[in-house]
Amino acid sequence: MFNNYLKIAVRNLLRNKVYSAINILGLAIGIASCILIFLYVQDELSYENHFSKSGRITRIVGEVIFEGHKDEFAVTPPALAPAVSRFSDIEAVTQFNRAGKQTIWYNNQTFTDEDLVFADSVFFKVFDYELLAGNPATALIAPHTIVLTEEMAEKIFGGVEQAMGEVLQFSRDSYTVTGVYRNLGHSHLNVSGLLSKATIDARTSAEERNTQWFNLNNYTYVLLQNEEQIASLQAQVDDLTQNHVNPWIKENKLNAQMKFIVQPLKDIHFDTRYMHSISSSGNISYVYIFGAVAVFLLLIASINYMNLATARSAKRAKEVGLRKVVGADRSQIIRQFLGESVLLTLIAVLLALALVQIFIPSFNNLTEKNFSSDFFLQWDFLLVILAIVLLVGVVAGSYPAFFLSGFKPADVLKSDKQPRGGSATLRRALVVLQFSISLIMIIGTIVVFTQMHFLKSADLGFNKEQVMVIDVPGGDSTLVQRLPVIKQKLLQNPNVLQVSNSYSIPAEPTNRTLLLMEQDGKMVEKTMDIIAVDYDFISLMGMEIKEGRNFSRDMKTDEKSGIIINEAAAKWLGWSEPIGKKVGTGENRVGDSSTRIIGVVKDFHMSSLHTDVQPLAITLAPESPGYLLARISPENQAATISFVEEQWRMFDQRHPMEYFFMDEFFDRQYRAEEKMLTVFGYFAGLTILIACLGLFGLASFTAEQRTKEIGIRKVLGSTTGNIVLLLSKDFALLVAIAIMLATPVAWYGMSQWLQDFAYRIDLSWWIFALAGLLALVIALATVSFQAVKAALLDPVKAIRTQ
Amino acid sequence: MSMQELIIDTQNLQKKYITDTVETTALAGVDLKIKRGEFVAIMGPSGCGKSTLLNILGMLDSPSSGSFKFLGQEVANVSERQRAKLRKENLGFVFQSFNLIDELTVEENIALPLAYLGFSKSETEKRTLQAMERMGIAHRRSHFPQQLSGGQQQRAAIARAVVSEPALILADEPTGNLDSVHGREVMQLLSELNDAGTTVVMVTHSPTDAEYAHRIVNLFDGQIVTENLNVKRHAAELL
Ligand SMILES: Nc1ncnc2c1ncn2[C@@H]1O[C@H](COP(=O)(O)OP(=O)(O)O)[C@@H](O)[C@H]1O
Ligand SMILES: [Mg+2]
Repeated sequence: MFNNYLKIAVRNLLRNKVYSAINILGLAIGIASCILIFLYVQDELSYENHFSKSGRITRIVGEVIFEGHKDEFAVTPPALAPAVSRFSDIEAVTQFNRAGKQTIWYNNQTFTDEDLVFADSVFFKVFDYELLAGNPATALIAPHTIVLTEEMAEKIFGGVEQAMGEVLQFSRDSYTVTGVYRNLGHSHLNVSGLLSKATIDARTSAEERNTQWFNLNNYTYVLLQNEEQIASLQAQVDDLTQNHVNPWIKENKLNAQMKFIVQPLKDIHFDTRYMHSISSSGNISYVYIFGAVAVFLLLIASINYMNLATARSAKRAKEVGLRKVVGADRSQIIRQFLGESVLLTLIAVLLALALVQIFIPSFNNLTEKNFSSDFFLQWDFLLVILAIVLLVGVVAGSYPAFFLSGFKPADVLKSDKQPRGGSATLRRALVVLQFSISLIMIIGTIVVFTQMHFLKSADLGFNKEQVMVIDVPGGDSTLVQRLPVIKQKLLQNPNVLQVSNSYSIPAEPTNRTLLLMEQDGKMVEKTMDIIAVDYDFISLMGMEIKEGRNFSRDMKTDEKSGIIINEAAAKWLGWSEPIGKKVGTGENRVGDSSTRIIGVVKDFHMSSLHTDVQPLAITLAPESPGYLLARISPENQAATISFVEEQWRMFDQRHPMEYFFMDEFFDRQYRAEEKMLTVFGYFAGLTILIACLGLFGLASFTAEQRTKEIGIRKVLGSTTGNIVLLLSKDFALLVAIAIMLATPVAWYGMSQWLQDFAYRIDLSWWIFALAGLLALVIALATVSFQAVKAALLDPVKAIRTQ
Repeated sequence: MSMQELIIDTQNLQKKYITDTVETTALAGVDLKIKRGEFVAIMGPSGCGKSTLLNILGMLDSPSSGSFKFLGQEVANVSERQRAKLRKENLGFVFQSFNLIDELTVEENIALPLAYLGFSKSETEKRTLQAMERMGIAHRRSHFPQQLSGGQQQRAAIARAVVSEPALILADEPTGNLDSVHGREVMQLLSELNDAGTTVVMVTHSPTDAEYAHRIVNLFDGQIVTENLNVKRHAAELL
């Protein structure tokens, strides 16, 4: 019997090549997208899984509430770890902090690395990386030791064995390699090597570290004795905050409240709230969006199968009747048709696997992941494939199966009466569903695209184009002292228009500081963002001074006692006449009575348009490390860049010049959205493609069914145009209904998405109109191909075929 | 097994079709008894309910009211699944328009009832071959129905009807789509089957075909108007 079913199924597939191709291709595209999305989702959810204790590891993060404004930090005070290690239920506490950008010399080679941390000797007890060399218990005990990742060891020394015991020279001191570990799997800890924390701890006293509660720079991780103790740890931390930390802060006259939050390790990857996080985080909404897209694609492809199978059911009705005549009961017929759809899905899966192989490199590019093509050797993947085959096969096959198996043989075997091909209303409803989903995707794409365009072309309050930004390595004071010299040299090239140096630039996290501000004659504590720049920064950036003046070389007092604020700060402080207002700065914040506001700069965006312009203070620090900026002319740009590189080499032989362009750097803040746009675009294209495949099949079915009617109409004088219109207007109506259904859903979804941006486009009607028009044109183009074919048929032949 | 055993026994069988606005009475109280081994021809003008009656007898359709006993069992009390079982174990069908499955070869078509009966592969092959040889179409076994002449298709259909050796064959105008030569061939085959003990109920328009039957039932407007014994056939049997 199985053989018989298989034969019928295969012969039907071969006999109806167009239908089979539509179904298989549509399903294959849907399944291939699903497989890729599954890989992505699985990868995103696999973070931290490789640590054997991952369920018991937690991170402690901090919240600082200051004047009703809450800041969330991934970093915590150095005193936290020692305090927590005295708690109960704790197995280990480790803390580490970022080493920042480092230049490393070994054997006449220079390397730079930003992903090193200073870690204590407990680190490997919590994070059980596999050590390829060295002893995890002792490797980080002594000062001036370093444990490297396998990649770093390969890069610098060419191997693990060669690395052990070697000495790496850093700007300030040197470190001996005492271990090499292997980085397996994904972790939010994107670290290239561990420097022994004992090295920097030797520079301060333990007393100082263990009492300091307002210096946020350490990451604190706690290994619990068992997974259930998170609540108990949180309670103990709350206790500590209430009884010790906040009283200490008050004692030190810091007008703030601190709170610590215990976070399971597995949550960290998707928690993007915390500032100064150790590595860029994932985004759980992308996991959801991708998952939904996968389900939609499969649904649309399954609908094609259902629609085409029922539309064609008249052709299969006789077979069903005959099988019943010779003794088949209904369940056997159902099984046969389900088997057929499962077989079709199976073929589609094979094609899908081939598609995945072809598209994995582009998908890797898109997602910045590194999937290999041997993924299908994993058992959990095979389970997913099996689930897809059964789910799609059964879901798509069940309606035709139940519908067809219900035919009464006495009805279908009458030669004069053929059953109509299933419920046309249901089929129409399903087409509307398909097009609604496609439209939502199209609208989404247009909205994201428009918003991206808006973000990139928005007036930032400064000119980000043509600004070359050169990294000035810290920790080398002679370099900074010689900055004026290189600035002079650079300006000798007519294509270097302006130069400046600055401690911070837009799109970099800014520092926050506590200032005393004059309000109603009193000095009031205020925390605000602060940047330090030189005389030329504001003019080079093309920022506009609204009131007062810029820093001036003629005013000797500016460096010590001049502050410029932005409009947002003036507004925030309630100053109608900001110029000349007193400001207290400095370590003890008593207020240097001579510091004054000298100017107000027009608001500009230090960070992306996700957020509003924050109140900002700008101080003058003409000799600060950080960045050297050069505004260059677009003419001969390549030559100008090599000129700058040449000058830099003469100026600093020790560090290779690293530079980037400010516009690219600023726009990188929209990388996640950029990626989403690409993904949305691709998947919108795929959904509409699959939906149109189905529409094509349905249109050809309708045209076929109405051949006789078309013939008669033509005999009676209908033009080809009339006929095309007749056949197309039904489908146009369906797309119109889909537009009405999709618009509110898309409007809601995209307004939610736009909430992420402080500056956003309006969802104006033209977006929806454009999407609708696009869908309509594509659908009509698909349908009219069949309609024209039918309309051009010789009417005499058309009548005779019935 | 007694020759007197009733294979079919209907009482006041009625069938009404209700479509949108019109109600059609296809059968208006039919009492029909058919004994095992009989050859019965049902005749009557087009639209008088012949096919309807035959479909109900074949359990392909159900009556609106009345009683239908098949082998002594009231069919109305039997589940759909049981009916499918009764059908595959006892009945063979032959239609005017042959009704072979286009996607299956002649041999596969004929083997189909055996597949639903769960026969082994070798048994299926053996029986299918026998049936094909008996109907003289073994040389066309791997052809598809569309590649055969009408007569060949009908012989294949009869082979399919008899392959499971059913007790009853129901034939609805089996010669209706055939020329007279092929028609006679088909009637001869049915007659031979009946001689071998199979009960045959056949709907026909043709008086010539009806000659092969023992008994002729005349239907008009859904009712049996006359029943005649076929003297010739009875005489032939007596010889
Ligand atoms: N499925 C049906 N729906 C409605 N009316 C039907 C149906 N099948 C048959 N009829 C009607 O029942 C009557 C008997 O039909 P049928 O048994 O096919 O006649 P015959 O086979 O004697 O030509 C006819 O009037 C026919 O129109
Ligand atoms: Mg009839």
